[in-house]
Amino acid sequence: MAIHRVPLVLLACGSFNPITNQHMRLFELARDHMHSTGQYKVVGGIVSPVSDGYGKQSLVLAKHRIAMAKLALQSSNWVTVDEWESQQPDWTETVVTMRHQYGRILKEYEQRTGMHNNFNGNTTFLPKASPQLKLLCGADFLETFKIPGLWRDDHVEEVVGRFGLICISRGRLQPDRAVYESDVLSRHRQNIFLVREWVQNEISATEVRRALRRNLSVKYLIPDSVIEYIHQHNLYTDESERRNKDTVLRPLTKQAQQTVKSLDD
Amino acid sequence: MEGPKLTDVVLLACGSFNPITNMHLRMFELARDHLQDTGRYRVVKGIMSPVGDGYKKKGLIKGSHRLEMARLATETSDWITVDSWESLQPEWVETAKVVRHHYEELPAAEQNNDDVDTVKYAKKRRIKENYFKGSSHQKSKERPQVKLLCGADVLESFAVPNLWKQEDIIEILGHGLVCITRSGCDPHKFINQSDVLWKYRNNIHVVHEWVTNDISATHVRRALRRGQSVKYLLPDPVLRYIKEHDLYNAESEQKNADVVLAPLQRFTGASSS
Repeated sequence: MAIHRVPLVLLACGSFNPITNQHMRLFELARDHMHSTGQYKVVGGIVSPVSDGYGKQSLVLAKHRIAMAKLALQSSNWVTVDEWESQQPDWTETVVTMRHQYGRILKEYEQRTGMHNNFNGNTTFLPKASPQLKLLCGADFLETFKIPGLWRDDHVEEVVGRFGLICISRGRLQPDRAVYESDVLSRHRQNIFLVREWVQNEISATEVRRALRRNLSVKYLIPDSVIEYIHQHNLYTDESERRNKDTVLRPLTKQAQQTVKSLDD
Repeated sequence: MEGPKLTDVVLLACGSFNPITNMHLRMFELARDHLQDTGRYRVVKGIMSPVGDGYKKKGLIKGSHRLEMARLATETSDWITVDSWESLQPEWVETAKVVRHHYEELPAAEQNNDDVDTVKYAKKRRIKENYFKGSSHQKSKERPQVKLLCGADVLESFAVPNLWKQEDIIEILGHGLVCITRSGCDPHKFINQSDVLWKYRNNIHVVHEWVTNDISATHVRRALRRGQSVKYLLPDPVLRYIKEHDLYNAESEQKNADVVLAPLQRFTGASSS
């Protein structure tokens, strides 16, 4: 029996509009990195597409984004899609999604270990380290913490303090700088794992949509099954690109409302 | 239905393909989109031609494996094919000769029927039909052009002493070159600085890859040696094949470790004699 490694689930939140090979690479890179620390055993990955309430320009319907993510992840034996966030009528704060997912993971874990304990005739104690949940993100994500009004301070605190971050750096972005420049992030430095991606692989969903609108090939950037789905439903067009064009991003309005409320109190 | 007359093009990519990656496949897609977008060309076929074992490059595994991986990788493509001629030659073959070989292999009369989307369906059968149809008594049209598909590094390698014969460069440029380049790099400057490239500048198609996708085979081999994941960098069937045959490890990387690359051997030998 080796030393107990902490079971770890990786959660990626985002638009997935559409999911690309790059999104799935992030999971592979993160898992390799966390295993190489010798402290974690990655037991699962969750893709959680944002709900339609997010109000981001060109966001196609969640049911399509979910369907594409499911198709893309058919070939993975450890990453799955979870629909909870996408089904919420309003946009959900990332930390709320994390609480929900973590609750679900803990419940599953307790059920499993509980059954195991009953079999041994033991009472309730959790033998091994209980699972952890960490947020998986690209380096650009760290930069969003700086955008005024986008994040609530207590939420940032909870995401990095209670859960933890795994951040994959792409190209020129310097995630260590973003950590250094933020007091909250610095304080939780040991809970932020920076993974360097040596292969530059900048397949952004924006580029994929642009190519699709222009009728250019996106083969080998996203899985064939996803390409088929996109063509079948004619998902990305000039028209779809204009969706939510003049809408303010929901996090900005939601946070603002809450700020006003707290001022009123 | 009187469009401007389109020139048929076959895209040929030479290289180690050790192993083939999604980036190699992307190059074909980018090149086809670019050429067809000019309104002057119709890309009828892509050929991937893995180099023979005689190339003596460090870490180059057997041609039969590289060929099989390329075949597996192109299974889902309806226009990219793999050709074994080059890899089956006992000695390394100059790229100019490979281009010539494929040019001569093409049927002289290519029937240009009005079905523009030929390349889109039922891969092998249609690609074949495209070639053998109209080879006898139909009115003959121009033979398709064979253009060499490469990255900007190949263009720059033309300047490396003893790597290329001057007449080979000219022969290749005569057929035409499609060169994929990262955004940010400017091969036009390089073309301008070389007299021979400048002379053939109209036969050099520069394609900008706006989405950086720098999956090198070297990186893939390194990750495999270290037991890291390469999923989504190359097609799953290729990944399975590599695992099954345990193709890339510390030992395979030492192949040809102290051997001089065949082109350098040949041309430095020739120039000193």
